[in-house]
Amino acid sequence: MTTISRRQFWMAGIALAAMVPMAASNTAAAQQLKGGTLRVAVLQELANYDPQQLSTVNFHVIKNLYDSLIEYTADGKPEPSLATEWMIAPDKTSVTVKLREGVTFHSGAPFKADSVLATLQKGADPKRGKNVFPTMSVVKDWSAPDERTVVINFKGPVPDRQILDLLQFMIPIEAKGIDTVETVPAGTGPFLLVSRAVGQGLRMKANPNYWRPQQPFAQELVFTVFSEDASASAALESGAVDLIYNGSSRSAVRLKSAGYQVFTGPGKLVQVFRINSTRGPFRNKSFRQAFNHLIDRAGILRVGYAGLGEVVAQPWAPASPAFDGSYNKSHAYDLEKAKALLKASGLSPAEMKDWKLLVNGSEESSVQISQIVQQALAKAGIPIELDVRQGAEFVTALLGGDFAAVFGAVGNVQKFPSRVATNSIYRTVQNPILKDPHPHPAYVAAIARVDAATGSEAEVKAAYDNLNKVLVDEAFAVPTNSYEVGLIVASPKIGGVTPEIDNLLVARTIGFK
Amino acid sequence: MRAGSGSILQLLRRLCGRRSAAASLAFLLLVALAAVFADWLPLDPLTQSLADSLMPPSAAAWFGTDELGRDILARVVYGARTSLATAFGAVVIAAAIGVPVGLVAGFFGDWRDSVLMRCIDVLLALPNILFAMALIAVLGRSQAAALVAVGIAGVPTFARIARAQVMALRQLDFVAATRSFGGSSGYIMFRTILPNAMSPLVVQAIVLASIAILLEAALAFLGVGVPPPTPSWGEMLRTGKSYLHEAPSYAVLPGLVLTLTILSLDTIGRALTALLDNHDADLAERRGS
Repeated sequence: MTTISRRQFWMAGIALAAMVPMAASNTAAAQQLKGGTLRVAVLQELANYDPQQLSTVNFHVIKNLYDSLIEYTADGKPEPSLATEWMIAPDKTSVTVKLREGVTFHSGAPFKADSVLATLQKGADPKRGKNVFPTMSVVKDWSAPDERTVVINFKGPVPDRQILDLLQFMIPIEAKGIDTVETVPAGTGPFLLVSRAVGQGLRMKANPNYWRPQQPFAQELVFTVFSEDASASAALESGAVDLIYNGSSRSAVRLKSAGYQVFTGPGKLVQVFRINSTRGPFRNKSFRQAFNHLIDRAGILRVGYAGLGEVVAQPWAPASPAFDGSYNKSHAYDLEKAKALLKASGLSPAEMKDWKLLVNGSEESSVQISQIVQQALAKAGIPIELDVRQGAEFVTALLGGDFAAVFGAVGNVQKFPSRVATNSIYRTVQNPILKDPHPHPAYVAAIARVDAATGSEAEVKAAYDNLNKVLVDEAFAVPTNSYEVGLIVASPKIGGVTPEIDNLLVARTIGFK
Repeated sequence: MRAGSGSILQLLRRLCGRRSAAASLAFLLLVALAAVFADWLPLDPLTQSLADSLMPPSAAAWFGTDELGRDILARVVYGARTSLATAFGAVVIAAAIGVPVGLVAGFFGDWRDSVLMRCIDVLLALPNILFAMALIAVLGRSQAAALVAVGIAGVPTFARIARAQVMALRQLDFVAATRSFGGSSGYIMFRTILPNAMSPLVVQAIVLASIAILLEAALAFLGVGVPPPTPSWGEMLRTGKSYLHEAPSYAVLPGLVLTLTILSLDTIGRALTALLDNHDADLAERRGS
């Protein structure tokens, strides 16, 4: 990776800052979007308003109530948001961030460095930091030389991309609203919360003091919660809503053929066959490796996700710098190779079938893809049973690591590669499934190598290649396919949909043609 | 007074004399035979063919295929096995527990009646589906758990019917005569009263069978029925509803078979009630003359 000089970085930041309003006004002019009430169907009830609890149930509100320090374009390039400029020190042990002027929180208070410091403090707290906490592990301390500048110091040299991920993940919360942010939003975002009816939906209105010129287009944003995907589709087809956010791939494919617009984003999730390598036959490496060739990835993608996504043998979306498509060929479905590995494992047939596949019964695609694997195993002479559990019962087993194997999605697959370790199965410490000490030290070392690779492009690539090699060799997690999260299906009259790096809903640019 | 095999045959003949009941009986017989002899039929409910998923009905697959390319007809036939086994098992469990409870409560009265019927009231106060789900949460998800859950949910109705019958019959002369000959309580309850209380219990067995099939389907629809890949009508409805646009036959045809089965059981139950009422009226008339 090339190191950019201090002057270049400042210049790049300033140039980008100047481009943002231009781009926005150009987009508006080109599309001539009109405002109005944007009605959005969602399929999950919001958990809370804390932007550090980044989960799919909150994806539809975060970028509408809050702004992050920087944003990524769809192809992963950083651009200014609440931070107008950022400068990474030449030794990569700190970053200096300049904050935008003229921004106010929804309460009317001005946006200053104190809120960024309070947000960093929350993120670094193991109890309150939620999803941001693992990202903060590289941070040593922080300070504010003045009210428009924040300096973040790292424990050691940190790769540029990892620093940018941290800034992109940092969503300033008003300092005085930190403690109540789960129930009262405290952001600078383009919409203000008007009301919420739990289980039914929520209503927002345009922020009149929003800092991005001419945005948001819509004067009102109304979310309605639908319990059934089919009901949301029917609402779109009847004109009761203008778009569906985070609906199923299958419905999206059908609605697309009926003339609706479908928008996919770069922030995919990757479905992973998670293996508890501390249990039963899964302690055997050859047995685990056989699963790389036992899984019909193309079939899973077609049946579970209507073909929307890509077959992957590594936990990366194509936007990830560690993405390497060659593994898709070398680790494709191959029953003979799988049988050879099973034979090499030295396990008896009784030992091989001495486990159950945990299945999330609430998720149709999980039930389907688990049955596909069950049949493939039967073909390889390993008849197993499915342990289908619902709701909380499944989540308890999943989070507590109380399973032999299970399908589950992982995120952050388009970010800096070591961010994959924020997902439970890939955690290097305090792994809830594999426990401490980590049973795969080669993997822990590979992640550490990636984190330490701050030198030449060749050094960085070698670290990524090593991580990929270790992942397929240790095979405690077998990725099958990427799939769309935050899928947007919109009526033809909708325009201005902006792809977001994490596929969060960005309603501020959406208007009516 | 006990109904012999001759009168059962006569009852069946009279049942077949009613067109709707005969059609229902024929349909149920077809479903039962298919379920029993499914292994001998050229049907495979488990083998997947992902390339042939969600195919419409054709000569190769009369009901079409599901999302994993499995033959829906085969799954309906094997699903009948699940449903009928659950219905049969549930009726046996419900009758085996409910009838003795009702007999004892109704025959003895006193504190035994109070204690047993309050227990039954507790069971009755719980919604069937909720009770079944709670039991499955404890026992785990399996066909046996579904069967036990549905069976226990059917206990109160059997107990109440048996109790009501015993209370009506225990005062009659033929019971007093048996008692005067030294018949024990057990003998009187099970050998004298029970055979004469069978009519409403048989009808209740048929009613409970239909409820059991529906409840098993509802449990599967809610995702707590028999675990996949075992075929189940409710599970097919649950998954099929997601494909109503692409493959309407996936949900509609299993739903139709389920509906017809419930309808047939209900029709037979009603016909039996009418016939047995007439039968009892005839007997009473003969006794009167």
